[in-house]
Amino acid sequence: MPAPQDNPPARRQRLSRVVNIGLPYLWLGVFFLLPLLIVLQISVAEPRLGQPPYTPLWEWLESGVLQIQVNLQNFMLVWEDSIYLTAFLNSLWVALVCTLLCLLIGYPMAYAIATAPPRWRIPLLMLVILPFWTSFLIRVYAWIGILKTNGLLNHLLLALGVIDTPLNILHTQTAVYIGVVYSYLPFMILPLYANLSRLDPTLLEAAADLGCRPLRAFVRVTLPLSLAGIVAGSMLVFIPVVGEFVIPDLLGGPETLMVGKLLWTEFFGNKDWPLAAALAIVLLGLLVVPFVLMQRLERRMEDSA
Amino acid sequence: MPIALDRRNLDTWQDPKATPYVRIERVSKRFGEHHAVEDLSLDIFKGEFFSLLGSSGCGKSTLLRMLAGLEYPTAGRIYIDGVDVTDVPPYSRPVNMMFQSYALFPHMTVAQNIEFGLKQERLGRGERAERVDEMLELLRIAELRRRKPEQLSGGQRQRVALARSLAKHPKLLLLDEPLGALDKRLRENTQFELVNLQERLGITFITVTHDQEEAMTMSTRIAVMDAGQIMQVDTPTAIYEYPSCRFVAEFIGSINQFEGKVVESDGDQLLIETRLGRPMRVRNFHPLALGTPVTLAVRPEKMRLCLDYREDGVNQLRGVVEDIAYLGDVSIYRLRVEGQRVEMTLTNTQPRTEQVLTWDQEVAIEWSPTSAVVLTE
Repeated sequence: MPAPQDNPPARRQRLSRVVNIGLPYLWLGVFFLLPLLIVLQISVAEPRLGQPPYTPLWEWLESGVLQIQVNLQNFMLVWEDSIYLTAFLNSLWVALVCTLLCLLIGYPMAYAIATAPPRWRIPLLMLVILPFWTSFLIRVYAWIGILKTNGLLNHLLLALGVIDTPLNILHTQTAVYIGVVYSYLPFMILPLYANLSRLDPTLLEAAADLGCRPLRAFVRVTLPLSLAGIVAGSMLVFIPVVGEFVIPDLLGGPETLMVGKLLWTEFFGNKDWPLAAALAIVLLGLLVVPFVLMQRLERRMEDSA
Repeated sequence: MPIALDRRNLDTWQDPKATPYVRIERVSKRFGEHHAVEDLSLDIFKGEFFSLLGSSGCGKSTLLRMLAGLEYPTAGRIYIDGVDVTDVPPYSRPVNMMFQSYALFPHMTVAQNIEFGLKQERLGRGERAERVDEMLELLRIAELRRRKPEQLSGGQRQRVALARSLAKHPKLLLLDEPLGALDKRLRENTQFELVNLQERLGITFITVTHDQEEAMTMSTRIAVMDAGQIMQVDTPTAIYEYPSCRFVAEFIGSINQFEGKVVESDGDQLLIETRLGRPMRVRNFHPLALGTPVTLAVRPEKMRLCLDYREDGVNQLRGVVEDIAYLGDVSIYRLRVEGQRVEMTLTNTQPRTEQVLTWDQEVAIEWSPTSAVVLTE
């Protein structure tokens, strides 16, 4: 067997491979893994007055001893004080409800766009994306104007005679639902559209030809084939909503206890960085679990195929 | 190579008392300004293997889709087994279709694909399983039952699609370019298999194809279509030997055409004076007035070398060999006869090296009066 030649083209090829594979890893390492490790480190520190406002993980004492201090009390507190558990559960609940609402509203919209005449598709998609041109914060503020007691919605309903007394929506959990569903709907529609527009319309013709009425054909053909889009869209909505801070803060009331809001308060209000970091770590753990489960399920489905 | 199939006792269309199984009555289909099918009528009989033949855009696929219920006619009516199905949705028609792309459900196994139509019929689990097994057996794909469509080859997919469309025992099976996606060798084998299957099951098949050889091999009858209309409906033999118009003559195989006019009518034979100057004699079944402009059409393989050429000989021509295409079993000779090109096919009964005809050689050819056809349109 001849020895592998180390000629310049081969070397260049190897270099390009290293760069191609290495660069994304470097990116992930610097901008994702490293910050995560820093947060993890803060979460096991103790708050203190000073800069930075937490104790270091290790310290060289004058006697030449390396002192490593790991403080798990933040995690204990998250577990023991029921306010945090309630906030977590409430966040998961809000995220779940909003994901389902987005799916219920977004699926028909995505389906309508995907099956619209081709010249209509781009304008319709633009309408979905258009709100992104305006700042997220301004759009949420706009909802205050709509939902408040003497706001647009109440004026309209009173004028139409639907209600006699103004509805109290702002600063309730309902307002949070409305705000979240409004803000995150495009994240549900876009992956669903991408999925549904690739669906071969002949499959539905085949289903009809084999005796399937349109509704059944949808359930047995379209729905299972768009599962990947449903999963992608749901992830894109669910994950950020669990940690959502702005919408519950601006639209929610005292009873909307969400992790994002608590985290904000601990970090900026109480200046308790370690507790805030611990909350962030727990939140991350909570979100990674369903993600891993989903991936395992997907792999099993592929294996059985 | 195509061999004539055994089609005896199948010529129901010649029985004047037979009622058509599929009746297409003055059907038109317009897509906006485009007329896909134009005032088309056609009767198809039970047990036929009927082919709609034409080039792309001739309306054959639209006609098939109207039979399936995937398109509704703009005008006209469609009857299947005596029932007016014009406005019946596809899921209620006793018809199944095999799609050109096969349209197998990618998220279902082979067995689930075949079972799909049966589930819509609310058959019991046991009966469904039986039918699926029967279909897997029939198309010899039992070992593929747990595979997903993406794990199948083109030929296997074709079989699964066929099994799925046959599982419901339809009254009518529609096949849209059934062999279009297969390679040549597989296509030839599958042609015979399709015909055998059709004869065994007794189901009426209607197939759409642009491949004339495929239509010739498989069909009991062929409808040649052009621009949304039917140009001729007949058996493969009749379509080939007695085309009714120039379009059909040119569409199927190749043909030599000589323009001229009728100068003498004698019993069942016509004498035609062509532009080439000499009279040609042809058998004809329809009376034609003297002076009628006609086209005399002769297939290349009906030509033969002429040994007793005479200056005033009937159906004889003399020309020069311009081109020779050697195809192995036959050779095609392109001759130039007084400014017109004439094609002749000769069977290579001898090795090529010993052939007599060569380039620039002067040859005389002739054909029998019964081998030519008179075309008036």
